[in-house]
Amino acid sequence: MLRTLAWRVAVALPTLLVVSALIFAALRLLPVDPAVTSLPAGATRAEIATMRHAMGLDRPLPVQYAIWLGRALHGDFGQSIHLHRPVGGLVRDALPATIELAGSAMAIASVLGIGGGLLLFALRGRRLEPALETVITLAMSLPEFLWALLFVFVFGVALNLLPVTGRLAPGLAQPPGTGFLFIDSLRAGRFDVFWSALLHLVMPASALGIAFAAPIARVLRTSLLAVWEQDYMRQARLRGVSETRLLLAHALRNAALPTLPFIGRQFGVLVGGALLVEVIFGDPGIGSLMVDALRHADLPVIQAVGLAYCAAVLAINAAAGTLQLILDPRLRRS
Amino acid sequence: MSLFAVSDLTVTARLGKGNETVFAPVLRGVSLTLDRGMVLGIVGESGAGKSMLGRAIADQLPAGFAIASGRMDFARRNILALTPATRRAMLGRDIAFIPQDPIAALNPVRTIFSQLREHFAQLGLPRHQHRARAIEALAEVQLPDPADLLGCFPHQLSGGMCQRVLIAMAFASRPRLIVADEPTAALDAPVQARILELMAALQRRAGTAVLFLTRDLRLATGICDRLAVLYAGAVVEEGGAASVLARPLHPYTRALELASPSPDMRRGLMVLPDHMPGLAALATANGCRFAPRCPVRSAGCAEREIPLIGDDRRVACQYPERTSRIVPSPPPPPFRASAGEVLLQVDGLARRFRVGGLFRRREMSALEDASFTLREGEFLGVVGASGSGKSTLARLIVGLDRPTAGRITLAGADVTRGDAAARQIRRANLQMVFADPASALNPRRRIGSIITQALEAAHRPAVEREAVAAELMRAMGLDSELVARLPGQLSGGQRQRVSIARALAARPRLLVADEIVAGFDVAIQAQLLALLARLRASGIALIFISHDLAVVRHLCDRVVVMQAGRIVEAGETERVFTRPQADYTRELLAAAPPDIGPPAPTLLAIPPPSG
Repeated sequence: MLRTLAWRVAVALPTLLVVSALIFAALRLLPVDPAVTSLPAGATRAEIATMRHAMGLDRPLPVQYAIWLGRALHGDFGQSIHLHRPVGGLVRDALPATIELAGSAMAIASVLGIGGGLLLFALRGRRLEPALETVITLAMSLPEFLWALLFVFVFGVALNLLPVTGRLAPGLAQPPGTGFLFIDSLRAGRFDVFWSALLHLVMPASALGIAFAAPIARVLRTSLLAVWEQDYMRQARLRGVSETRLLLAHALRNAALPTLPFIGRQFGVLVGGALLVEVIFGDPGIGSLMVDALRHADLPVIQAVGLAYCAAVLAINAAAGTLQLILDPRLRRS
Repeated sequence: MSLFAVSDLTVTARLGKGNETVFAPVLRGVSLTLDRGMVLGIVGESGAGKSMLGRAIADQLPAGFAIASGRMDFARRNILALTPATRRAMLGRDIAFIPQDPIAALNPVRTIFSQLREHFAQLGLPRHQHRARAIEALAEVQLPDPADLLGCFPHQLSGGMCQRVLIAMAFASRPRLIVADEPTAALDAPVQARILELMAALQRRAGTAVLFLTRDLRLATGICDRLAVLYAGAVVEEGGAASVLARPLHPYTRALELASPSPDMRRGLMVLPDHMPGLAALATANGCRFAPRCPVRSAGCAEREIPLIGDDRRVACQYPERTSRIVPSPPPPPFRASAGEVLLQVDGLARRFRVGGLFRRREMSALEDASFTLREGEFLGVVGASGSGKSTLARLIVGLDRPTAGRITLAGADVTRGDAAARQIRRANLQMVFADPASALNPRRRIGSIITQALEAAHRPAVEREAVAAELMRAMGLDSELVARLPGQLSGGQRQRVSIARALAARPRLLVADEIVAGFDVAIQAQLLALLARLRASGIALIFISHDLAVVRHLCDRVVVMQAGRIVEAGETERVFTRPQADYTRELLAAAPPDIGPPAPTLLAIPPPSG
């Protein structure tokens, strides 16, 4: 199984290479000259030309790309024009917050989605089914940032139950370490930090997870309905297997097969939403970094963030594919 | 006191909504008894109600179906009066089921062991005994290396092996009653025979009573003690198995017998008009439901309800003495060797596949060194078990696949390479008909437009297309009003006729038919065979692929027998069937259910399983 995962990651690498070239080319086509933006306003043509030469912008595009790629392979993504810090370090600092958000949103979405799918299926033909349908349609039709704003208003402002900005309460400092708040706080034995981080994560992760759970529930319900009609379900029922066991031990795993790749595909959408939600909640993650970089036409940062996004999507799809292999013996080579 | 008795059971289906609701009886006043250790065959076409009987026994009627009256006694209790929980607790313990399609009846994502032990756990077997008991159970159904099989998934086993696993599960609890719903319908003839022998052996050893649901009268006669023939939801005839087949009292039983081709001799097939009434027709039907199709009916038959009368032999017919007047159709004229020119020549055809990944690559051969010629107007049968290369051969001939070696010559031109010129020659000369008409017909197209697809592609005018559609539908016995229907609104038999008509619309000289009568009941099959036989007059050649020897013997002039990708025997049909040369042909012939009631399989001679 590990070998398959490694193989899938290896297959994804060329994709990553193509994406990096695409990002590089697209950004160079923008009517933005990094040399100009990195100089104070009112610089002379000569100064700009010197700067362009210094930044390597006067070389042909493929050469620029080759140089950039060569450095990127060594972990050097260049210098942020706006923040004057190495891009690699910026991304590394921002990544844990985003991973924590996207990961917990995904967990919430999976739990709600699978639970919702099972519930939808169990209620089929009953009077409560349309009610649940409506809830799911609602969850799906509100974009995650509106959920976020709604949560901020209800739980943050009106009820004042949950903190609305940042990753930690003011006054608390993140313990040093991996950058992942939950890991670092536990390692440092700072349960107050852990609790605060949890409270800060509840709203953004739920806002993101809810919008994402609804389509999972729908897909799971549809595949459960298809699986329910299969011969092996009828045969198990004829052996006297109970309905609960039929659903959980026989139908669910078969119905998960079409649902998993769907979750993988949706992950890209989720990460996109995470960037927006971060900005709303003022989390110092990739989203905030991205918005800042876009505002200042900070091309090296945009480039690196784009690449990180692509890598994340590919990794999740490889993981989903491997999981599918574990669940479906028919896909394995005998 | 019998072990299991059904008394006057009526099951109805609710049709329509609101004020228009009607109840159609899918089972009507069915009474049956089954003693310990006895095998009772329920014979009927699809839609006759035999599966509904199985589902009623299991308390698992589909939505909209309900038991309207009657009782069902099992071990001295009316099980219809029991709670659903009690009923369910009997399943898999006192009453077990053996399914129709064994590969589909096992959960594809769980190992054989995990499915066996779930059943053992339910039977209350302690956990530590599961493995030993599983190995024992698989050995009992004569599966080789049972310990190795435990970790396998269903897709890694053959259909016959899956069915053995399911039989092992069914017998695990030593149930008193087993309901077997066409347990061998999805299996090849040699495997089918071995599975039936196995079931008979286990059943005798344990004294289990078996309710054997099948549409194959001859098969049922071979293994059942008694038979009940079901038509449109009612038992029309019941009696000792041998006596029912030897002297049928109901015209329908007689018709069933005369409609099925025999592997032992070539004979004429009785073609019943029309088909069994469907659900909607059952809601309003009166009198004898078979009367409209009955060759010996009287005016009064369709008016009066006709009860099942008699003691040991029961029949629901007013004039059972007339049944013997139904005589076999005259045998079809003997074949004469075709003097036409060679239409298709196949030389040393092979298809090999590379399997495996980057490493450990090996070659697998689906077809090796196949050679034969086909003359104009000839009907060639291709027989063999599943996986013997029959369908590969067909795919190569029609150009759906390319051979890795050999030559195909069609109408004098080399079409091996499948280039544009070859495609042109194929289009002008051959057409294919597929096994499953439901998936071969575009569900969104009207019948008329499906039939004339080839003409549409050739940009023929609409007037001509309509004329051709009308003509072909008449030739195929399809009502002209069906022209504007969608495939979903037709019966399976009608759909297959549409599929054949579509192929004929292109005026091919060669028709390649892959198992096109296999999925149908004998009455529908006889209708289709009659249609195909009539094509002979037009001079068309036919390659007829089938696993059913009897059908091939009935229809084809010449036959090739395939085994494991090779042609093991070829020749005139009569010669191959009467004096087979290859061992495999002899084995196939021996495994086919014989024509007239044979002695039941015995416990003694059980060959080792190969499927």
